[in-house]
Amino acid sequence: MTTLNELMLLLQAGFVQRAFIIGLIVAVLSSILSVFIVLKRVSLIGDGLSHTAFGGLALGYYLDIVPLWVAAVVVVLGSLGITRAIRSTRISSDAAVAVFLQLGLSSGIVLISLARGFGISIESLLFGSILLVNLDQIIIASVILVGVLGVIFLFYKELVYTTFSETQARASGVQTWFFDYLVAILAGVVVIAAIPIVGVLLISALLVLPALTSIQIGKSFKQTIIMSPIFGIASAFLGLFVSLIFDIASGATIVLMAMAIFVAVLGAKRVSAR
Amino acid sequence: MDLNLGANQPIVELENVRVDYPGGVQAIDKVNLEIFEKDLIGLIGPNGAGKSTLLGVILGLIKPNHGSVRLFGEALKPKNLRLIGYVPQKAQLIDTSFPATVDETVLLGRVPGAGLFHRLNKEDHLRAEEAMKILGIDGLKERRIGQLSGGQFQRVFIAKAIVDKPKLLILDEPTTGVDSLSKSEFYHTLSHLNRDLGITILLSSHDIGIVTKLANKIACINRTLYFCGPTSEFETSSALSKLYDYPAGLMTHDHP
Ligand SMILES: Nc1ncnc2c1ncn2[C@@H]1O[C@H](COP(=O)(O)OP(=O)(O)O)[C@@H](O)[C@H]1O
Ligand SMILES: [Mg+2]
Repeated sequence: MTTLNELMLLLQAGFVQRAFIIGLIVAVLSSILSVFIVLKRVSLIGDGLSHTAFGGLALGYYLDIVPLWVAAVVVVLGSLGITRAIRSTRISSDAAVAVFLQLGLSSGIVLISLARGFGISIESLLFGSILLVNLDQIIIASVILVGVLGVIFLFYKELVYTTFSETQARASGVQTWFFDYLVAILAGVVVIAAIPIVGVLLISALLVLPALTSIQIGKSFKQTIIMSPIFGIASAFLGLFVSLIFDIASGATIVLMAMAIFVAVLGAKRVSAR
Repeated sequence: MDLNLGANQPIVELENVRVDYPGGVQAIDKVNLEIFEKDLIGLIGPNGAGKSTLLGVILGLIKPNHGSVRLFGEALKPKNLRLIGYVPQKAQLIDTSFPATVDETVLLGRVPGAGLFHRLNKEDHLRAEEAMKILGIDGLKERRIGQLSGGQFQRVFIAKAIVDKPKLLILDEPTTGVDSLSKSEFYHTLSHLNRDLGITILLSSHDIGIVTKLANKIACINRTLYFCGPTSEFETSSALSKLYDYPAGLMTHDHP
């Protein structure tokens, strides 16, 4: 365990400060999107996309061309495919997502084992390395943050209506197919931005938990979407603190913290309802 | 809005419409239907008769396998759908855990009309206020929709459907699961919307007794339309007796 003194020193270290900044960005991105994802009942989309991204990253390393860009292309294609499958009435949507997930994961692992020794650890892909983030990554993530929030702001009312009820929105002339794809593509972009930081396994949790928590206590949609990033940021910061103090895996601790906040809020709601 | 409609041009025209669902169910066939401005049409038929399917075709939700749909004198397109307010069958309304308040829900009805890239403004809020008053739910504005009674919930969705001043209001089995007191109040509201605000109404129901009192026209469906005309003619026609050829239980119960 780290002493208080050591912790204070750590907090002054550049790499720790960068971790907090990137944690903030990833938390805001994922928790705002999570509201749409959870309420659209496509919570598994983050899972499907992050494993597709894993396959994409492995392909990028295997081909030895900018892995993140290869992964980005694969994820965007994956999000189009997953949305198409979800919108289809012939396949059940959880099965569709599961297929993408398994395809991404297994082809990724095959590619990595084919090119043994290209110097990435599966572990860093799966769990990320938030304490190794550099300035460039922060800049890229900030650009993505501004872009994603801008798109959501631009199409806010249509996104809300499509999320509320795809059928009713479509019946009144909203081009809901566009907004379904848009949410999936935004999720794909967030997944790609977040994988180097929190990893494949954890980003899908961050695309669900903050919204699950805020839906419990939001008195309106507006409150819900405002509280979600607050819970997201709280999870990221508390998780980082705890992981520094106990010197444990940061990404996983952040997710456990998001889970703990969810359980605490549920409990508080139960108690206050009595 | 100028619709360029002649006095006698129908606002909805279905011609020889057929819908087959995957699995070989032929839900509706050879359906011809015209709806004129100011009509209040009751679409009646037993469960599984194809009422929701027919409404879905008019709303562009279901693409017919055969036949054509025209709205307001034009082919079906998003712009024309904006002139229709729609209240789905209760079970399909929405998941009650959705964290929206009553006024947020009603405001959604203004989204398509406002157009892309435009924020909802004061005018939209005023219209929502108005619609909630008409439905008598203005006192519930801040409630989360999950905390409403069945009748209140219903009214919220009707307010949402009329908030953009539609030419046509479509309601799918609006009284299923609503108690009889709310029912009569509800029909009162509908005839107010129709007579005083000039909204054309198409509602489906298997509650023949009340619909014939309310509607000026009746359309009877069981896979195909076998009657469509003024209520007075319906009452003296053989359609009613044909209707009762189906097991009576299907017609009189509110539950499938
Ligand atoms: N999505 C669907 N897939 C397959 N069959 C369907 C579907 N929806 C409705 N049906 C069938 O089509 C027929 C008409 O259904 P519907 O239009 O819902 O009738 P109603 O609204 O009058 O009860 C029924 O036999 C029903 O089982
Ligand atoms: Mg029906």
